Amino acid sequence: MNRILIPVALLLFLSGAATVGFSERPWAPRSDVEQPIPFSHRVHAGINKIPCQYCHEYARRSATSGVPPVARCVGCHGSGLLGGIKPITQPWTDDHQPPFEIRWNRVYALPDFVKFVHKPHIWAGVACQECHGPVETMDRVVPVHEINMGFCINCHTKRGATQDCFVCHH
Amino acid sequence: MSDGLSRRSFLKLAATAGAAAAIPGCEPAARKIIPYVVPDENIIPGVPSYFATTCGECSAGCGIIAKVREGRVIKLEGNPADPISQGAICARGQAALQGVYNPDRLSKPKRRKADGSLEEIGWDEALKLFNDRLAAAAKAGKDRIAYIGAPQGPTLDRLTKLWAGAFGSSRVVFWERIGTEPARAAADACFGRRDLPIYQLDRADVIVSFGADFLETWGSPVEQTRQYADFRTPRMRRGGLSIGKAAYVSPRMGITGAKCDAWVPANPGTEGAVALAVLNVMAGAGSLRHAGTAASAIQAQLAAYDPESVSRKSGVPVSQIKQMADWLGQAESPLALPGGDDPQTYLAAYAINALTGSVGNAMVFLAGAPAETASRPQETSAVVQAIGAGQVDVVVIAAGANPIFTMPASWGAATAIGRAPFVVWFGDAPDDSAQAAQLLIPTHHHLESWRDSAPRAGIYGLGQPVMQPVFPSRVLHDILLESAHLGAGEAAQSITWENAQDAVNAAWQELQSKLGLDPMGAEFWNQMRRNGGSFERAKALNVAFNPDALKGATPARVESESALLLAAFPHPFLYDGRGANKPWLQEIPEPSNQIVWDSWAEIHPETAAQLGLQEHYKSTYLYAGIDVIEIATPSGTLELAVHITPLVKPGVIAAPIGQGHTSYGRYASGRGANLWAFLPAGSRAVPVRARKIERQYKLVTPLGKSDMMGRSIVEVMSVEQLANGIKPPIELEEEENTPKLPYEMYDAWQYTGHKWGMTIDVNACTGCSACVAACYAENNLPFGGKEEVDKGRVMSWIRIERFIPSADEAAAAPNLYIAPVLCQQCDHAPCEPVCPVFASHHTPEGLNAQIYNRCVGTRFCENNCPYKVRRFNWYPAEWPEPLNLQLNPDVTVRGPGVMEKCTFCIQRITNAEIDARTEGRQLVDGEIITACAQACPARAISFGDLNDANSAMVKRRIDNPGRTYTMLPEFNALPAITYLRSLYWEKGKA
Repeated sequence: MNRILIPVALLLFLSGAATVGFSERPWAPRSDVEQPIPFSHRVHAGINKIPCQYCHEYARRSATSGVPPVARCVGCHGSGLLGGIKPITQPWTDDHQPPFEIRWNRVYALPDFVKFVHKPHIWAGVACQECHGPVETMDRVVPVHEINMGFCINCHTKRGATQDCFVCHH
Repeated sequence: MSDGLSRRSFLKLAATAGAAAAIPGCEPAARKIIPYVVPDENIIPGVPSYFATTCGECSAGCGIIAKVREGRVIKLEGNPADPISQGAICARGQAALQGVYNPDRLSKPKRRKADGSLEEIGWDEALKLFNDRLAAAAKAGKDRIAYIGAPQGPTLDRLTKLWAGAFGSSRVVFWERIGTEPARAAADACFGRRDLPIYQLDRADVIVSFGADFLETWGSPVEQTRQYADFRTPRMRRGGLSIGKAAYVSPRMGITGAKCDAWVPANPGTEGAVALAVLNVMAGAGSLRHAGTAASAIQAQLAAYDPESVSRKSGVPVSQIKQMADWLGQAESPLALPGGDDPQTYLAAYAINALTGSVGNAMVFLAGAPAETASRPQETSAVVQAIGAGQVDVVVIAAGANPIFTMPASWGAATAIGRAPFVVWFGDAPDDSAQAAQLLIPTHHHLESWRDSAPRAGIYGLGQPVMQPVFPSRVLHDILLESAHLGAGEAAQSITWENAQDAVNAAWQELQSKLGLDPMGAEFWNQMRRNGGSFERAKALNVAFNPDALKGATPARVESESALLLAAFPHPFLYDGRGANKPWLQEIPEPSNQIVWDSWAEIHPETAAQLGLQEHYKSTYLYAGIDVIEIATPSGTLELAVHITPLVKPGVIAAPIGQGHTSYGRYASGRGANLWAFLPAGSRAVPVRARKIERQYKLVTPLGKSDMMGRSIVEVMSVEQLANGIKPPIELEEEENTPKLPYEMYDAWQYTGHKWGMTIDVNACTGCSACVAACYAENNLPFGGKEEVDKGRVMSWIRIERFIPSADEAAAAPNLYIAPVLCQQCDHAPCEPVCPVFASHHTPEGLNAQIYNRCVGTRFCENNCPYKVRRFNWYPAEWPEPLNLQLNPDVTVRGPGVMEKCTFCIQRITNAEIDARTEGRQLVDGEIITACAQACPARAISFGDLNDANSAMVKRRIDNPGRTYTMLPEFNALPAITYLRSLYWEKGKA
């Protein structure tokens, strides 16, 4: 009896574990994400106090806040303003190198069935840090809150914002 | 086993290995976010950009606006500034999206090998091959190069002619199968000018159409639908409430006949004779008020067209001929519309219009009409003959002309082109004609191109690319220009433009001068691109009718030994065949017969009985068609599955044109029959013999019964009732047991903010299905193909319901009951209480929300919906690349196992509400428009806020109190959609 029972139980346990393991939501904010270039928010937003929306300029205009185009970086780093070109940004300011995009890895990625729009939140006065945490203290961005629906609804309830499912799920 | 692995060890090993293998797979790779390098100032990711251009799906040339997200066009709308479309767009125009993103588009040049197969080659090699052949042909003599392409607008067509001229050839034909030659020839005879008249249906009070399917494919359907909706709007005329009166002479009803008061079944090819007989009767009755002294001469000329003999030939009863003559004679502003390929029909119609004083009013000629775009049929067939006679070395087929598919069989185009030494095909999606080519070169779709169009006087439409090319194709005219400069030496010196864009630019600078707008400078070009062109009202011309034009009128006759006539008609969506590779156009049912993904033969029950055909049932399910007949025509035989329907004249087999492609992509190839191959050059009617054969072939329709069974789905009333304030009662089922309606079990919903609703005018709706196509595009609706539709899985959120009045109902009903049905967003939605997980629930703004991520797929909601508007995703939807680029990012792409339905375009509502809130203002009525309402050429759908008494949607109800109704009121569902009854004339049956 044991000869059958134990392997079967083991198999069931392992498949259950695999199921839970595979059910890791691919859209949950990721704390393990590393970026192709070691951009530090602490240096730019913290020490140099650059406002979030200087780079993430679409947040007040669109659903997505956007990641700054390379031209935004070159605007400061490509000029003599900062004592010339820092080695780390050289590829993007090198005239002999054709321009190429930076493929950032998403820390925050909502699933397709959530239509989150940044614009009304910015206009409602929600600070970026409320959802994204104190990004200006981070060298590498990691999530502070788990962005699940409960997180959204808590704030919507507190602020009296819409609780209409259809507004975000369509 | 003593050595090696024991069973226990094996299991232990396997389990551990399995677990070990699973662990690295736990974290999927992170998703990317990729910004621009140097952003375009005008592009905000997440916010659409709009570009005005001109639709290239047919010759109507409607202005359209392309909605572009992140560099991809995802939706097309009509351009409100364009006088033709006035903001509307038809199903074919909407489906242009599936043309630019078609997965079967050519991406690399291809060359045909000796064994007949195609191999990909590089651009340099392809262009060298092309240029070498051109140079050799030019050297060999004049006119050794032939070009057959669809008209591309005045500038590009001029370029083509210059290119050919540089190589010493004048053999350039701009080919359109559904052409304007008969109309122009008749206009020349009658009025001395080969211009096309402009029709203004809204200025008429009686319309008789002789074979012109003006709500489907004839002329400018979007414009005509709008005008016709106006024509049928009840208003005070001559002291009484009335609507326009219309009759349609045609072998099959179609939706044009459905929306007319009288469908006059006539043998195909006799519409001209009937028109002349009507003219004859009118002359005799003295109703040709403007004929003056010519009246008796005209009557004498038409002596051969007495009603009795025409009645014998056409099958139209004498009484109906006289009735139509009476209608036109009594009208203040009568309008005869000529259709088909017989010039005599046009002669007769122009005569009727001219001699009753309607020319200059409901039918006008405009000053400054643009030059003809298409080549005359004689010129085209001469070129084909020259090719067949070996006088042409290089044949260039371009721009979707598809001569092998569409040219009349008698011209022998397939054989001639097949024998040509070298055939080059340019285009986006390889079609039947590409099969004859030795070299295939991919060129841009019209949405990716600089072009212009001049559909009529005063309208200069600009076409601009709305996105970067999807495929690595190139601009056709850039290739032609370069080849001219390379190969034609001095002869090409006169061509000063570098490329097509340059040519269009230059042409518009000329236009700027012509319009006297030089002072605007560069701002003119900016404005043109913003508007989509220059639109002006051209002046109407005074023209005189020449009665001699009627001398010796001899309409084409279709005489037949057998009693059977084949009437081919362009499919409203597939048109001349070009629409067949777009899956939306295949999946949306043809509105009058509701059949999808096929060709079919419409046969009247009487004729069917004679042929031994009958309706077949599987239990209570009626097949749309399953018997097959073999039709023998003078040009060959074809087999078609039979659809038995009263919507066609007895003795006539009506079959749609557009299928039967041998090669035109995965959605079009090997499907149905190509009717063009069996039609003679100047006609769409053929005498045939038919017999039933043993084969069975199933036709598929998403439609259920054609009988409303007394239910309140499409309600009608007569104009007389409306004028007298009589509202016909609506019979509710189970009236005795039903409590008094409306009935509230709970407290009613309180809507303090917006409450979204719709008013749909069933009288205006023609069933054209532009709304259906728009919904597919806006809401990422999947298409399943014939097999899935057969299983009842057509996914349209809005559908055109079509019912046929029974014999009892016919006297008090229009010819067909047609109405759009979509989610009614009920206040007492039957689908809401039954959802175990609250995926279906009511929102504070009155909508019934369906939350995809909450749905677990019990399908109880679909079960409970009386309107049957809910759609379940039974299969994972597929969009073969690059069709997926068309998907709207604002709408969730639903996975399998999830219910979906119309959302009143909540994404548009939400976006508008966010904009209003951030701008600190209230929403303005008309700011939010659903995709269906925006597309509708008849403006049948109004969307708005029920809590806003000034909204157009509410006003429409208030202004039409005698006509409002809701569907299936006995369910007490309290729909947010109110319909307006369709109207008919009590004595409308001619």
